[in-house]
Amino acid sequence: MRKINILFLILFFFVGVESYAQTTNHQVYAVFVMSIAKYSEWPETGTKDFKIAVLGKSKVFDELTKATANKDIRGKKIVVTQSDDIQSIGDAQIVYLPDGKSSQLAELQKSLAGKPVMIIAEREGLFKKGASFSFVVLDNNTLRFDINKKESESHQIKISQSLSSLANEVI
Amino acid sequence: MARWQFGSLIFIFSLLSFPGFSQELDSLLKLSAFTAESDLQKQLNQATGVGSGKAQATRETPGILSVVTAEDIQKMGARDITDILRTVPGFDIGQDVQFVTGVSFRGNWANEGKVLFLLDGQQINDLLYQTVPVLNNFPVDAIEKIEIIRGPGSAIYGGSAEYAVINIITKQASSLNGIKAYGTVGLLNNAIGRTNGGIMLAQNGKDVSWDFGFFQGKGIVSNQTNYVDQIQNSDSIPYPVSNLATVTNADPMNINLGIRTKGLQLRGMYNGYKTNDPILFAKFDNYSADIKYDFKINPKLTVTPQYVYMNQVPWAYGSVSDGSYGLRVRATRNLANITANYNLNRRINMVAGAVYFADKANDLLPSNAYFNGEDYNLYNYAIFAQGLIKHRLANLTVGARYEKNNRAGDAFVPRLALTKKIENFHFKALYSEAFRTPAIENLHTSIGDKVVPEKSSIAELELGYQFTPEMLLSINGFTLNTNDVIIYEYVTLDQQGYQNYRKSGSSGIEAVFNLKKKKWDLNVNYSYARANHNSAVDNYKIPQTANQFAGIAAHKGVAIFNYSITKSISFNTTLIYSGKRFAYTTSDATGTPEATQLDPYLLVNGFINYHSEGFTVGFGGYDLLNQKPAIPQTYNGNYAPIPGRSSEFVVKVSYQLNFKK
Repeated sequence: MRKINILFLILFFFVGVESYAQTTNHQVYAVFVMSIAKYSEWPETGTKDFKIAVLGKSKVFDELTKATANKDIRGKKIVVTQSDDIQSIGDAQIVYLPDGKSSQLAELQKSLAGKPVMIIAEREGLFKKGASFSFVVLDNNTLRFDINKKESESHQIKISQSLSSLANEVI
Repeated sequence: MARWQFGSLIFIFSLLSFPGFSQELDSLLKLSAFTAESDLQKQLNQATGVGSGKAQATRETPGILSVVTAEDIQKMGARDITDILRTVPGFDIGQDVQFVTGVSFRGNWANEGKVLFLLDGQQINDLLYQTVPVLNNFPVDAIEKIEIIRGPGSAIYGGSAEYAVINIITKQASSLNGIKAYGTVGLLNNAIGRTNGGIMLAQNGKDVSWDFGFFQGKGIVSNQTNYVDQIQNSDSIPYPVSNLATVTNADPMNINLGIRTKGLQLRGMYNGYKTNDPILFAKFDNYSADIKYDFKINPKLTVTPQYVYMNQVPWAYGSVSDGSYGLRVRATRNLANITANYNLNRRINMVAGAVYFADKANDLLPSNAYFNGEDYNLYNYAIFAQGLIKHRLANLTVGARYEKNNRAGDAFVPRLALTKKIENFHFKALYSEAFRTPAIENLHTSIGDKVVPEKSSIAELELGYQFTPEMLLSINGFTLNTNDVIIYEYVTLDQQGYQNYRKSGSSGIEAVFNLKKKKWDLNVNYSYARANHNSAVDNYKIPQTANQFAGIAAHKGVAIFNYSITKSISFNTTLIYSGKRFAYTTSDATGTPEATQLDPYLLVNGFINYHSEGFTVGFGGYDLLNQKPAIPQTYNGNYAPIPGRSSEFVVKVSYQLNFKK
């Protein structure tokens, strides 16, 4: 056994961990968030920027920051922020709820009640619990989203038909 | 990330900055939630339905799984199924009787009813004893892939899958759309080791697909000269001094025909095998046919009725010298099965079904005395159900099977599995009970009390980590406890047969390391099995140690290295190390068999393949160090080990012509 262990160690050392394993592709999540933002409509609130707040630490924040540099949505500059708590979210149009923060959905929903803010949840199924969008990974590993239209309407946000038609499930 | 995927993401990002352009929405549908697959991940992520009602990736199936692909087989230049199974953790080869070989698994003799062999869905295990001879058997060059559940499969597959399931799928029944011919010649230092060849055709039509395969081989068991079985040899009855290269055979034949049209599938198969030691021959003639239809009641529910007919003359044995038979029994099975597969939603799947089969055996010898001039009948019915819930935290599989046999009684086996892949890490926690239904001869030749189903409880835990897209390490541990072990015992000439022994089993670990680079790949695996000390099967025991059973090594290590020299030329070297074994090899002055140690061995094999335009030629050498590992009997059953073959030089040629689509 000892010889085998040494062999494995040698192999790992020899090969080196030079690249990442097949893991969650946060860049794709960022693309989806951008698409959702583009094909949804918020009431005019007079804000200068279009703000996307990521609650807590997530690699999606990095990807969104890179993807939205010097970009705008309907003439509004996109600003991506990271907030450690719900109180510091501010006047964002989208709140991205990473998987690890899913337990804060109810509190988030309460604090944003009636405001024109869309909650996009990373964890599957949360569209049934108050998020306007939540992601779902299909059997072939492609990413999709589920939509809670009633919830987004309660936040005065309209979702385009072309976006809805791509959803895995709409309620 | 693959270049194409990175490129498409950039493209979508750029499209997003142009208002009114909506084509990028369609592009979203193709985006994977995960980073790009490496070659290894493609292999691991291939969905398999083996052992489950819903196809899942290898790392999430509710079983410890090994998959051997056609590419693996071609690269290593496997001569027969033994070459393949020896590279799979836990498996080894042993002798039953009369030079008939079978598999051992996880330190236990597993030839009789403990490992289910399926070839294109057809059960290969015989109906009399549930065995499968393996030496120079199976058309390995026709195989597309082998899915091996290294663990019990009774809840789904029934009473022949107590320890493992080997599901062989041929090219013609899956991927081939054309014609392929193949041949293998193996040369030993003093004889031709084997000449095997076959042809397969398959046409995949829009409405009707069909396939046909023919395979025939001629081989020898060993090329040892001046062989004498030191256990059977005695002053009163001297064993004939034999040149095994000239007197032994290991001759397989397989004819396989399948037709698919819409949901209807038909398959017929003949699987034959003939072998012999210097005194006795053993022949297997197995015919099987099945028909099934997938009724898609609605998008969620599929109901599949199936009818299977098997007609076999297995283990027909007799004298080599005059060709007369000692046993020649026909066994048939009529089996009806109905299975419902229901996908409640994307995350919940249920499979349930019922099986009924009737086995019948009758003596083919003129005396018709074996079953006292009558037919011997077994009736068996079973119901089974299994549910799969894919939850965020883990996938839960819960299943059970109840089976009742008119002679042996009933068996109930539950199954529970928790599996999950979380980013680079995966785990499988499995608990299964499994059983072996006594076959015709287990019941017919029983001694003492009624033989009841043998039952096992198996707990397994696998942990795996993917260090890079090309590198995976998985380690599993198991404990396997078998009760009411069905064992053949010879007491006297008039008192021999099967009975249940209280306990047996083993525990151990298995580790698999995979590394797949563009030009080369490496598979290293190790398996260790320790015999349960509470085993009550005296025939399995050896006096030297309580940690091993007769004829089976505790340690096995395998390293398979492939290197693509050019696009057309690849080189393979396979190393197989086996620890020391103890086996009954000789007898003392009173004729009582004695166990001795068989030294550890290292098989060094090398194979080179050249591939061009459908034409493949390969050559290589097996056991280049000429270790000649013997194949011992895996119990104390009055047979000395089969002497190992010498180094074998092998040439393999195949040609594949694809039909136009």
